[in-house]
Amino acid sequence: MTSKMKTLALAASVAAAPFMTATTVSADAHAELSYVLVSHAPDSDTWWNTIKNGIALAGEQVGVNVEYRNPPTGDIADMARIIEQAAASNPDGIITTLADYDVLQGPITAAVDQGIDVIIMNTGTPEQAREVGALMYVGQPEYDAGLAAGIRAKGEGVTNFLCVNHAIQQPTVGERCRGYADGLGIELGDAMMDSGTDPAEIKNKVLAYLSANPDVDGILTLGPVSADPTIAALQENGMAGDIHFGTFDLGEEIVNGIKDGTINWGIDQQPFLQAYMPVVILANWDRYGVLPGNNINSGPGFVTADGLAKVEEFAGEFR
Amino acid sequence: MAATDQTDERVKEISRFRQALIRPELGGIVGTIAVFTFFLLFAFDSGMFAAQGVMNWGIVSAQFMIIAVGACLLMIAGEFDLSVGSMIGFAGMMIAVFGVVLAWPMWLAIIITFALCLAIGALNGFIVIRTGLPSFIVTLAFLFILRGFTIYIPQTLESKTIIGGIRDAAEGDWLAPLFGAKIGKPIFQWLGDAGVIGVFERGNRMGEPVVDGIPMMMVWAVILIVFGHVLLTKTRFGNWIFAAGGDAESARNSGVPVNMVKISMFMFTAFCATIFAICQVMEFGSAGADRGLLKEFEAIIAVVIGGALLTGGYGSVLGAALGALIFGVVQQGLFFAGVESSLFRVFLGLILLGAVILNTYIRRVITGER
Amino acid sequence: MTEPLIQMKNIEKHFGSVIALAGVSVDVIPGECHCLLGDNGAGKSTFIKTMSGVHQPTAGEILFEGRPMNFADPRDAMAAGIATVHQHLAMIPLMSVARNFFMGNEPVKKIAGINFLDAKKADEVTMAEMKKMGINLRGPDQAVGTLSGGERQTVAIARAVHFGAKVLILDEPTSALGVRQTSNVLATIDKVRKQGVAVVFITHNVRHAMAVGDRFTVLNRGKTLGTAMKGQITPEELQDLMAGGQELATLEGSLGGTV
Repeated sequence: MTSKMKTLALAASVAAAPFMTATTVSADAHAELSYVLVSHAPDSDTWWNTIKNGIALAGEQVGVNVEYRNPPTGDIADMARIIEQAAASNPDGIITTLADYDVLQGPITAAVDQGIDVIIMNTGTPEQAREVGALMYVGQPEYDAGLAAGIRAKGEGVTNFLCVNHAIQQPTVGERCRGYADGLGIELGDAMMDSGTDPAEIKNKVLAYLSANPDVDGILTLGPVSADPTIAALQENGMAGDIHFGTFDLGEEIVNGIKDGTINWGIDQQPFLQAYMPVVILANWDRYGVLPGNNINSGPGFVTADGLAKVEEFAGEFR
Repeated sequence: MAATDQTDERVKEISRFRQALIRPELGGIVGTIAVFTFFLLFAFDSGMFAAQGVMNWGIVSAQFMIIAVGACLLMIAGEFDLSVGSMIGFAGMMIAVFGVVLAWPMWLAIIITFALCLAIGALNGFIVIRTGLPSFIVTLAFLFILRGFTIYIPQTLESKTIIGGIRDAAEGDWLAPLFGAKIGKPIFQWLGDAGVIGVFERGNRMGEPVVDGIPMMMVWAVILIVFGHVLLTKTRFGNWIFAAGGDAESARNSGVPVNMVKISMFMFTAFCATIFAICQVMEFGSAGADRGLLKEFEAIIAVVIGGALLTGGYGSVLGAALGALIFGVVQQGLFFAGVESSLFRVFLGLILLGAVILNTYIRRVITGER
Repeated sequence: MTEPLIQMKNIEKHFGSVIALAGVSVDVIPGECHCLLGDNGAGKSTFIKTMSGVHQPTAGEILFEGRPMNFADPRDAMAAGIATVHQHLAMIPLMSVARNFFMGNEPVKKIAGINFLDAKKADEVTMAEMKKMGINLRGPDQAVGTLSGGERQTVAIARAVHFGAKVLILDEPTSALGVRQTSNVLATIDKVRKQGVAVVFITHNVRHAMAVGDRFTVLNRGKTLGTAMKGQITPEELQDLMAGGQELATLEGSLGGTV
């Protein structure tokens, strides 16, 4: 029996060894600075791949250690523990989203007070970033982006809309719908749909909603998770290209949709910048004590069929 | 008469050492030693074993322990509860709805939430007993029902899915500190002053130690483990739990009130989930519709690592607690060790598999199962 | 002759249009082993379920210690002192012998006003009772799953007797056992009988019945074919009665009297 256990323990360490040595080696080779990026996204959210690539590239270019961490299920309470953990491992800086101010404010403030530099990216507001004592905020203010999208859609003739929300549990994402409705100048009402994250489910819900509400002439999706199935739904019921379709964020399918006219525009918050900029800023702050004087808005940038070449080339990787 | 006073020559004499070793918790003990050895080797100087690091994996483990104790007793009684995760989200949301939206006193919100969640636990059990359906299915239904309400209720009341302000609402309440406070603060302050643990370098908490007390979450974990262990091994009710899960029909024939045992175990599981939820919302100050996602599986995994049999009738609360410790240490420790975080599941799978193989072997030795 | 502990008079039990028992009369005296024989489908199971309170008779009378008795459910019967050891034992293999032995009747002791399981007492009683029955346990915490089928039967019987059974109904206790284990169980029955317990031993094995039985009642097609005292009947006659006389006679020729 004892030998059995030994084998087990041995097997575990052997299995782990390659990953361990890999990180140790890179730690030795690179400079002493190390930064951790903590996101709120569950493992299943592929959008964050761009973020991972962004910090990796920045880490390589400025010669610092970077790590990406996230709660596997997207549970914000788990995310708070990860921030606490990151603080306990004493990195030079933490880059984190502020998905739920109440929950994350404590751990982030504690990290700041402990002497760790923090930059808020992606989710949260510049005000909240200041509250927790972060150096700055890099991202796209959600409500403002939604408002801009709504104003633009109004100009393009949208009067009644459907907002497909695949992340109903994240209030900040819902702000996009609210801003969009305000931009159009109409009540949000029940136009925001809790679609869930399953592609087949989203597709069928969208189909059902559109056949039940024939007066809907505009759709807003909040990311690839809801946009991809919505494209499929519109292709199925023949409304593709006919109905006004705007979406947040980019992805391969969305890019194709913009190209073939199914999607009028995509709002790019340019996640690459949200990951890349904080690493560069932190490194320069730690090395030379220089810091930009303001928050950085990484978006919104409207991507239409005209400016697609670069987007297409790097979709899912850096765009 | 064949059997006489002399011992049966076919029963192999088992050495005392081996006998002491062969127990349901062995898998958990071995796993704990292995995991700690591993991290002491690979992550010793990463801050994992400094006060702040210990507190970090300690509290994550304590969280798992709280729900694992409930899941363990229920599993030994022969049933599952897949609604634990949703119950955590639901209970937290109820605290927020009662305490913040309806602005009831926090102690009332806590008591009503407990009553509500225990009633739902009892309903789970009642449906399982009455219909004879597998608890897997019944509680799966409640997984969706409760999660649905957890999203629907705040959406309808406040048109958002996270309700904050719980910490403010709990200010000065007499019951809330039982879940949200930290104990032993002076000791930690002293340790901080003495330089044993680090202190904050700036901000309005400058000079305070980075770990300023034992959170009630940990205290609850210890209380529940002790309670569960004593209940299971030292009372007649514990015997009934084993019997109800081992073979409900036989237990009934012997006069064990199986239905009562099972229903009360469903309620206990709900109780543990509610404790978890209340500690969480008191610490973080907000309730979110996504809290507790997949926690039911994490609880079951901890219990299984701890040596309990999925089909019931066999297991140990101490084992489950060790399973939870392993789970927590691995989950947080991989970050400390700098392992790519997406590999967490790979490790978890390996540990689960290893523990189950070892546990099955131990159980066969003990019970003569073939 | 001692007063019968339990008397079943002209018991009938109908399930819808099926007549499972059509007038069965049996009585059991303390300290005797009354064997109930019958082929499959003869009505043995229905009869013992009626006796142990699972079924209520459609017609007929049950006298327990001289008084008419009507058991609403098995708990009533158990409380009165009628214990049944089923083919599928009320034993849980994953649990220890001591925990099984006291299942549902756990001894308690009060510590600080709280009832705790008196594990020490449970262990001691279990070891003592098992020793009486001739079973040496490795320890009281040995799991039932590690015992042989015969030993499990013995634990179940010892348990029933320890908790005050006056009538012990054994439903085919030897049917799935090997030779040696069977003899162990039969020896246990013998010991229990000598303690003054009335034993109802259901079997379809004539040789097992003859080994311990004091009286023999044969059931066939829901009726009693009569009761015989030990020594008044030969195994062959019992065998014939069980099979209803004729068919087995023809069979027996071709099998050379081996059945």
